Formats: sequence, structure tokens, C-alpha cells
Amino acid sequence: MHIVVCLKQVPRDNSVKIRPDLTIDAEGIEKIINLFDEYALEEGIRWNEQHGGKVTALSIGTSEWVEQLRRALAMGATDALLLSDPAFAQLDTIAAARVAAAAIRKLGDVDLVITGRNSTDDESGAFAPALARLLGWPQLTYVGKVLELQPGGTVKVERHLESVIETVACRLPAVMSVIKDINEPRYPSLLKIKRVAKVEPPVWTAADLGLSTADLTPAAQLAERVPPPPRPKGEMIDGPDAAAKVRKLVDKLLEYQVI
Amino acid sequence: MSNVLVILEAVGDDLAAISRELLGKGRQLADALGGSLAALAIGPTTAVAARAGQFGADQVYTANAPALAQYTTDGYVAAAMAAVQACNPALILAGTSFQMRDFGAALATDLNAGLVVDATDLQVVDGAIRATRPSHGGNVINTYRFAAGKPVVALVRKQSFPEAAAQPDRSAPVTELAVANLTPRTEVQAVAPKAGAVNLTDAAIIVTGGRGLGNKDNYYRLIPPLAEALGGAYGASRAIVDDGWVPYEHQVGQTGKTVSPKLYIAAGVSGAIQHLAGMRTSRTIVAINKDPEAPIFRIATLGVVGDVNEILPLLTAEIKARLNR
Repeated sequence: MHIVVCLKQVPRDNSVKIRPDLTIDAEGIEKIINLFDEYALEEGIRWNEQHGGKVTALSIGTSEWVEQLRRALAMGATDALLLSDPAFAQLDTIAAARVAAAAIRKLGDVDLVITGRNSTDDESGAFAPALARLLGWPQLTYVGKVLELQPGGTVKVERHLESVIETVACRLPAVMSVIKDINEPRYPSLLKIKRVAKVEPPVWTAADLGLSTADLTPAAQLAERVPPPPRPKGEMIDGPDAAAKVRKLVDKLLEYQVI
Repeated sequence: MSNVLVILEAVGDDLAAISRELLGKGRQLADALGGSLAALAIGPTTAVAARAGQFGADQVYTANAPALAQYTTDGYVAAAMAAVQACNPALILAGTSFQMRDFGAALATDLNAGLVVDATDLQVVDGAIRATRPSHGGNVINTYRFAAGKPVVALVRKQSFPEAAAQPDRSAPVTELAVANLTPRTEVQAVAPKAGAVNLTDAAIIVTGGRGLGNKDNYYRLIPPLAEALGGAYGASRAIVDDGWVPYEHQVGQTGKTVSPKLYIAAGVSGAIQHLAGMRTSRTIVAINKDPEAPIFRIATLGVVGDVNEILPLLTAEIKARLNR
């Protein structure tokens, strides 16, 4: 069976800056595979180990992204694919899903797409549902456990929601997004990292994917992008001992009407 | 295309708080667009559909096919499409629960609509919809302008708008929508309550513990009792979740839950940027830490420098005494 795992490269933390042209400046912050996508990759590799076939790591980005795709190969992905084009620079989530959907259609033989529940930078969680609708496949989001996966058949999962766990099944092909609880991603061995260090994954452009400018245009324009308003200056609670500080703290909480 | 459509949610026999927020804001936005406010109740939610009129809706739609008894993407999108056909909305509002995220992004894709997830503000400027949403753990606040002529699906973060007040003399007609030939491709085989489920995102008060507590026993001896005395929920930093003290369910931060309660108490939490990302919009933040240089103090409303293992038992006792609990 052919599993595609969609990976996004994100900054390790979100201490980003905003440039005068309103683009995000993540200069100097280490780039990593979006944490939730690493769980998606691990899940894809585990099912590939059981069923055989291919597990393709797919990402949209510049040549800088190749490093994360190599890490995916070192972890156990059998193939990697980079979707790269200057026209992909400012995609919104649904446009990114259009790009990925075009590539998955072009691959042709894909049974299951797995990705993380959301990226830690954009945080919308819209990619997996958008991708599923564009492909015309059913979607299983917030998956905490894959109970069954039968090549050419069905997939049955647990969706871990806020206060309930749903058991849901559907036929393949399907799109799945996973949460952090689903597994424990492996660390690639140094040997494997060395073995893939020179791999150059195939690169597909907008033209290869038959995408038009309209497909790639965001639905909204950025009107403003600012840092959050500073929090009002805080107050340190002093006192001769812990008991006095605690009394003063509770006085304040009552005064603020928060307890 | 100037109407606003609210997707209703129910809690027990009542409209969910988020639905009252959306009806209040939706009313304002519909007036600004010169349109009317419609609401859609799907499946079990139809029991509370009639109440939407009291909170500002001009028209209520219901969709109640057997296949809508449980949430499925296909079912809910089909129901919403029927409502979109009926009222041609410029803006569709829903909450940001996992189900609504699953649904909203799918609906926006099918409609080729604009999409904003986690909106904290919505406005109409010169007839066009503007939506504000945080990204990058709250370090970036983005405002998007949507072109007129295409609908916008906005999933709104809880507690972003005041809840509409009930107007007992107000009502709205309720119209049943036909959702034909509905066969969702996903089959919900079971729905089980999550053991020890904590709905941190709904809690008005959260007490979070971190590594400063020293060990797991101290966490359970000190954090849940304080949360209980305050009628709140308890959270955890990533460090102690990764160390196995507390289940992931309780994790607050970039890779856990994003919360915005009226009171957030961080005890023995240093305040890594990934943690601040998940709680920085809380109304009042109390930080208790023995290190006066801990980053958590930079965003705290009230700070106490001291040993959490000494302060927390005193705080729990003081709160019980003062609140008569």
C-alpha cells in the first residue's frame, strides 16, 4: 500500500518577528519537522513496516526543506517528494492543500494520507480537512489510535476529541490527521542519516502539477500583522513570610473578582 | 449576499455559550452588512433550535435526518450546504471545537470560501469582512481582509465576544431543511466518554503545575486540591507531561492546549515560550516560582516568589477559608 505523509517545516519555537512587508521573519530559529507531523510520519512508517509498499514523505517548500525530507527518509520513509515553486511562497492553508492534492493525484496510487493535527506555527488544523475534500476522500481527524488498516479495504480509528473518544471507520483511500498521543516517534540512527545525506528528492513545480495562479491565490489579503499588545505591568506580592504573601494574594484575587 | 449564518451547538438542553456569543456578534455583523441573521441546528441540536430567536436570530433552520444523529463531516457539510442554499450567507460562524474545525475547513473548501480559524475579532469595514486571528503561539496577530463576493467561514475562539442576552419576547420562524440522499462515508461505531477527561479550554480557572514541584507526588498532593478549591481544572507543563507525571490531556502550551481562562495560576512553571503560547491571553495570570528571574513573571499579573511546596498548601487553605469551601 502507498501511504503519503505530509510534513511541514516550522520554526522550533514561535519567537518570530514581523518584517516591514508583513512577512514572518523566523531567521535564526532552528527549523524542524512540525511536531505533530513527526507523529504522522512514525505512524506511516509503522504501517508500512507491517503492510509493505511505499511511504512517501511529502512537503511544500524551498530547497531548504530537503533537510527535513532527508530526516524523514532516515526515520524510515521509503520515498520523498518536494513540491517547490516560487509561486508557492505565500500559500494559505486551502491553497497549500490544493498543491498537495494535485501531487497526490499525480502519484496516482495513494491509499492513505497522514498528517499532523495542525502545524505549530499557523495552528489552524484546516489542512487535512481541506485536502480530503479536494481529493474527494473521507477524512478522519484528531486520530489518537489506528485500530485497523486493511490495504484496499477499510481503516478504523479512534478520534480523540475534547471529552469523548469516537470509534470511526471508512473505506480507503482516506485522509487522516493525528495527535501527539498516537505513538512515540523514533530517532533516526546516525548510520541512516549518513546513508540519506546525499539523496536529492524529486521536485515538482506548479507547472508539473497543472496548477494555475487562481489555484494558488489566497482567499484573503493580510490587512495588518502586529505583535500582541503588551500585558499590563504585573505586581509582585511581598510579605514577611509565605503566609502573609498568600493572604495578600487572595485579597488581590478577590479584589479582581476572579475567584 | 449579506446574511450571516450561525452553526448552533448545544450543551444538554441549552444553547452552548459559544452559540450565544456567535448570535450576539452575528447580529451586529448582519446589521453592518445590511442582511439578516440565520441559525442552523443540526441533528440533536434541533432540540434547542427555537431558542436562537431569543438571542437574535431572524430565521432558524433545522436539519434532522437519521444520518445526522452523530457528527460526521459529510453529514454536517451536507446540512450546512442546504442552509447556505436557503439563505446565501456572506459569513458563516461556528466555534473552534475539534468537530467544528473538522467541519468548518471542509465546508470552506467545498464552498471555495474564505476560511479563518481561531478568529478573535470580526468586523465589517467598507462592506468587506475582516477577521483577526493569532498565530505563532499568540506572538503574531493577523488581520485578514476578505474580498466581497465569496462567502467566509469563520471559526471563532471561545470567549472572544460577549454572550447575547435573551430577549424573551423575541422569536424566529423555524424551518426544517431537507437533506436528501445522505450517506456519510465515515461510520461512527462508538462514542465513549474519555476517562478523566478535562475540558481545559472551557475552564474559567486553571491551576497548572511544572517541574518546580519536584516530583509527581507533590503535583497530585498540591495542584488538583487547589484547582478543586477554586472550582477549576488542573493543567501541566510539557516538561512534566513528557516525564510521565501527568497525562497529555492536561498539557498547556504550543503542543498541548491553548487556554484563555479568567484566572490562570502557574505554580513551579518557569514559562518557556512554548508554554506562554498556550496561556498568554488568560485574563489574570498568577505566577508562583522560587526563581525571581523566571520568564513567567514577565507576563504575570500577580507574582509570588517562593517555594511552591510551601505556598500552595497555605493558598488552598486560605482560599477554602475565605470562600467558605
